[in-house]
Amino acid sequence: MCPDHDILSAYIDGEIASPWEQAISDHLASCERCRSVHESLLATRRALRDEPLGDVGGAMERVRRRILSHEPVVPHQTTVWRRQVSLPMPVALVAAALLLTLGVTLAVLVSRSNVGFVRITKSPTSGTEYQFAVPYDRVEALLKSLGDGDANSESVMTLPKNMRLTPVGQPRMVRETDLLRKKP
Amino acid sequence: MIGKRNLLVPILLVLAVVQSHGQSQAPDADTDPKEALQELLSKALSVTISARVVPPSADQGTPVWNAESTKLTLPGRSIKVRLDGENVRIYLVCTPYLQEDGEVLLLAQGQIWLTEPTDKENKYYNTFYTIPVSFGEKVLFFPLGISDADNQDKKFFNIELEIKIVPYEQKQ
Repeated sequence: MCPDHDILSAYIDGEIASPWEQAISDHLASCERCRSVHESLLATRRALRDEPLGDVGGAMERVRRRILSHEPVVPHQTTVWRRQVSLPMPVALVAAALLLTLGVTLAVLVSRSNVGFVRITKSPTSGTEYQFAVPYDRVEALLKSLGDGDANSESVMTLPKNMRLTPVGQPRMVRETDLLRKKP
Repeated sequence: MIGKRNLLVPILLVLAVVQSHGQSQAPDADTDPKEALQELLSKALSVTISARVVPPSADQGTPVWNAESTKLTLPGRSIKVRLDGENVRIYLVCTPYLQEDGEVLLLAQGQIWLTEPTDKENKYYNTFYTIPVSFGEKVLFFPLGISDADNQDKKFFNIELEIKIVPYEQKQ
């Protein structure tokens, strides 16, 4: 039985152990066809070993230069405003609700400050506290419109001319009831 | 990529700040501006100051001159009146306070600048009074003193200022 091509190739490479190596040698001595294949394989081996290697230095140098000429690879970066955020729908809804609440709250605060209010707190220790969300001058204007002029401004009364007054004693202030009680 | 946490935390912080700011500054939800102003007016006081110049025999005669000024004010807020005469200038500053029992505590401060008709000397008096009064009760201020029988012979005019405090709503 003739050895196949792979066994003969292994035989040439010295990879066949004894006693099979001796058996193949004996077979080659007696089989013309196998001896021809064996010699063909040996010729190919010799041709590959003896063939001079072409000049690949230039090609290698070109490859090396191309590798070195490439800039290092940087991951692509985007600005914050161009980044996209993916949120689950419940989280997005909650965020939208919070923003809506924020807007409504700000609107209410602004509108309240325009309308104004008065809060009066009675304190047992420090009197009465008046808190106004309206400008002071608006309260003053209200009091002025209801009363007779501005309370903070002086009311001036002019005495008749040719009426000269003279003191009859020290200034005094009394309740009318006390004054009437003292009179006989 | 911006994390979800990075997005939500600033929103929640801003919302919390706004909410706390609103709670501290905003009025009660049921505070109506008109009602509040009405409540303010319910605390307002009407102070009427009537000035009279009376002849020496005032018991029989009527005042030869009178003037009146009514002002609306709040407790603790002073009102000022000035009387200008030929030889006298009188300042009266009244500050009413509401007491716990509902009565009024009147703080009155007076300044009197006077030139005596006889000797042309200038005099200055200042006075300060704290008088508890009821609403509508009259308080009399005699900046030049109270005339009596001895002085009535002098034929000099005398002056008195009457102060009356009533709640603004009662006045209406």
